Amino acid sequence: MTATLSEQSAEEVGRFPEPVVRFDGVSKRFAPDVTALDDVTFSVRPGEVVVLLGLSGSGKSTLLRHVDGLRRPTSGTVSVLDTDVGNAGGRTLRGLRTRIGFIFQQFDLVGSLTLLENVCTGALGRLRGPRLGLLSYPRDVRLEALRQLERVGLADQAFQRADTLSGGQQQRGAVARALLQRPEILLADEPVASLDPESSAQVMALIREISAEDGLTVLCSLHQVDLALSWGDRMVGLRGGRVVLDTAASGLGRDEVMAVYSQVGATADAVLAAAV
Amino acid sequence: MTLATERPPETPHHTKPQPKTLTRPGANGSFALLVIGALLAVSAWSLVDLRINVATLVDSAGNAADFAARMFPLDFPAPAELLALTGKTLAIVLCATLLSVLISIPVAVLAAGNTSPFVAARLGSRGVIVAARAIPDVVLAIVFFRLFGLGALAGVLAMGLHSVGMVAKLYADAVEQIDEGPRSAVRAGGASRLQELTSGMVPQVAPAFVATGLHRFDINLRISVVLGFVGVDGLGFAMASAFRTLDYQRGMALALIVLLLCVVVELLSGAIRRALLRPSERGSRRIGSGDTSGRVSPPWTFRRARRVIYGVTTVLVVVASVWGADLSFTQFLRAFHEPGEVLGLFWPPESGGIMPVLLADLWLTVKIALAATLIGAVLALPIGSLAARNVARSAAVGQAFRGIVVFVRGVPELVLAIVLVVVTGLGGVAGALALGIGSIGLLGKLVADSLEEVDPGVEEAVRATGAGRWQVYFAATLPQAAPAFVGHLLYQLDVNIRAATLLGIVGAGGIGYHLLNASRVLEFGVVTTVMLLVFGTVMLVELLALWLRRVVR
Repeated sequence: MTATLSEQSAEEVGRFPEPVVRFDGVSKRFAPDVTALDDVTFSVRPGEVVVLLGLSGSGKSTLLRHVDGLRRPTSGTVSVLDTDVGNAGGRTLRGLRTRIGFIFQQFDLVGSLTLLENVCTGALGRLRGPRLGLLSYPRDVRLEALRQLERVGLADQAFQRADTLSGGQQQRGAVARALLQRPEILLADEPVASLDPESSAQVMALIREISAEDGLTVLCSLHQVDLALSWGDRMVGLRGGRVVLDTAASGLGRDEVMAVYSQVGATADAVLAAAV
Repeated sequence: MTLATERPPETPHHTKPQPKTLTRPGANGSFALLVIGALLAVSAWSLVDLRINVATLVDSAGNAADFAARMFPLDFPAPAELLALTGKTLAIVLCATLLSVLISIPVAVLAAGNTSPFVAARLGSRGVIVAARAIPDVVLAIVFFRLFGLGALAGVLAMGLHSVGMVAKLYADAVEQIDEGPRSAVRAGGASRLQELTSGMVPQVAPAFVATGLHRFDINLRISVVLGFVGVDGLGFAMASAFRTLDYQRGMALALIVLLLCVVVELLSGAIRRALLRPSERGSRRIGSGDTSGRVSPPWTFRRARRVIYGVTTVLVVVASVWGADLSFTQFLRAFHEPGEVLGLFWPPESGGIMPVLLADLWLTVKIALAATLIGAVLALPIGSLAARNVARSAAVGQAFRGIVVFVRGVPELVLAIVLVVVTGLGGVAGALALGIGSIGLLGKLVADSLEEVDPGVEEAVRATGAGRWQVYFAATLPQAAPAFVGHLLYQLDVNIRAATLLGIVGAGGIGYHLLNASRVLEFGVVTTVMLLVFGTVMLVELLALWLRRVVR
């Protein structure tokens, strides 16, 4: 299956020769007998929109967390934006992280703070010292935060406490926070798994639109197969920590993708549950 | 049928699986029951041995009448003097609490499992917390008076450092309970360790931190009165001086003021704490939107104005307190000329040739604590039950009993003990009764809280069978909460042993008397011995509690 690169993907390979994310034989074990990633090798070129597919526990989240050094590989190398992530530490790692936006399943805004202050925390990486309170951020950071909130359509909610907003609004706020980092790469870990279908569609469209505008490279894990097929450029399937599918999305059939789930030997019910 | 009757009786089991019951069989469980039974028996025997009974109380009636005659009319100090005393007490207590909060924040961050940078830091700061809690504030005060001389400084340091034992522990718990999501989100954005804490952790723990600080303020206010007896300035000192000169009219007037002050502060801080910790209901705190377009500083809403006013008031109160407590930095530095010499006075521990007396009085302290805990349990179980929302017949009844619990918590045990010492004479009866009644404050609250936390589904199920209110209570509510009571009682015993030691200082029986006496006659080695004896006893109780809580669940 990995051999069936479509023409479109081949064109992109030609246009962007240097990968921005490169996994080379990466394995991650949490305990001697728990393998989260198993000899993963793949690379992502600038501007690509990659969807990670797989059952819960297949290693999608762990893989994403290796990209910005929230996890370190047990063996193999992770190279992102010309930085060896596994061996980077301190200032180098923080510098790398500011160039990578991360969107989480549970939004992870601080509920008791206003939306605007939450967005401002995206600038912490380039500011020095601790910040407490909205007014502790420089005015230009606050203005930029407000601009990002305008882009995600939430400027009028800037001074609401984050925990008074709906799930979809909170996730759009989290997108604005990531954008304030002025990232080159955007990681999203199941960004719509906690949202209703309507908000899901909104958030996914927003991420796609903004990443195109800003020319971002995107890695997004999803478990909704139909959504993934219509959304990404490239599908990477994980099963038991191994890459079992890596192909362009166009022309890819639903059945081929479902194979990622069925090969695991799951029951029909589990496959259906994963597909819903 | 015949077969069934010949079977040994089965252990009782319920229709729903209940993870928390006392009836789990097994060697550990049986041993635990045995230990609990023994504790109850010793407590009951202590009650008898201390002669806490109706006859004693009747005998004391004459004393009480005599005492009442001598305490009236109450002799209040002039308003200006009273205000100055009250202000001094509040200033010292506030400075002490602030000191404990300032120390506790870094200690808690180092001690909490999720924020501690490495294992040694974690163990070290846990050690600091245990040590701070282990050394009684009275002992600290005695040491600091020796180090720094008279004044507010010794009191502030004594209460401030001892409070770290509780405040840092609760802060660490709060830090461990945060949602890690926002913190890792901030980290993923390239934030430094410190930024991660200030932006990801602080906003989440701030309400709990403030609430804990206020709670400790209440406790320190009551403790400051006890410390008055060893020389800490303020209302307690004035009260102690009055009683020392047998001026009951002045002493009781001040005791009444202290009582009112404690209750008012307790009610006030309780209200603030509840407001702080109230979970925000979604949508309830929305502000009007619309005219905020283009703004990048918070709009001046009523809420922001209120917050600014609170902030400014707090700063003013703190400044006034630091000024009012009359803390002297030079006095602080002076102590460091010869700290080794002063501390050398306290080491090695000495028995002063009265070891048998010390041990006998330690045993008396334990008996007082056991008797007090039993009295407390008998009083707090019904009162706490009626204060629980799901047990009280109506909300009004529940609130009335909650009110009683809060009121008792506000009453300083010391004031109770002094009154009882005068009424029943010097000795254990006064201490046990004072602590027993005082136990309602803590134990009643813990009982009510545990009862409210039971699974309401089980109560529903029993109610659905047509059971009455009290049948539901005994069949569903109480059995679910009972294992928690064991923990609460042992905690109360722990608290009572410490408190019984302190009450000894005012003559309510037990080993505490030697603390004060030894420091008066400058036998500081004995102070250390007393401290170590009490510390050892409390540790034993804590180990027992740790084990029982694990077995009984």
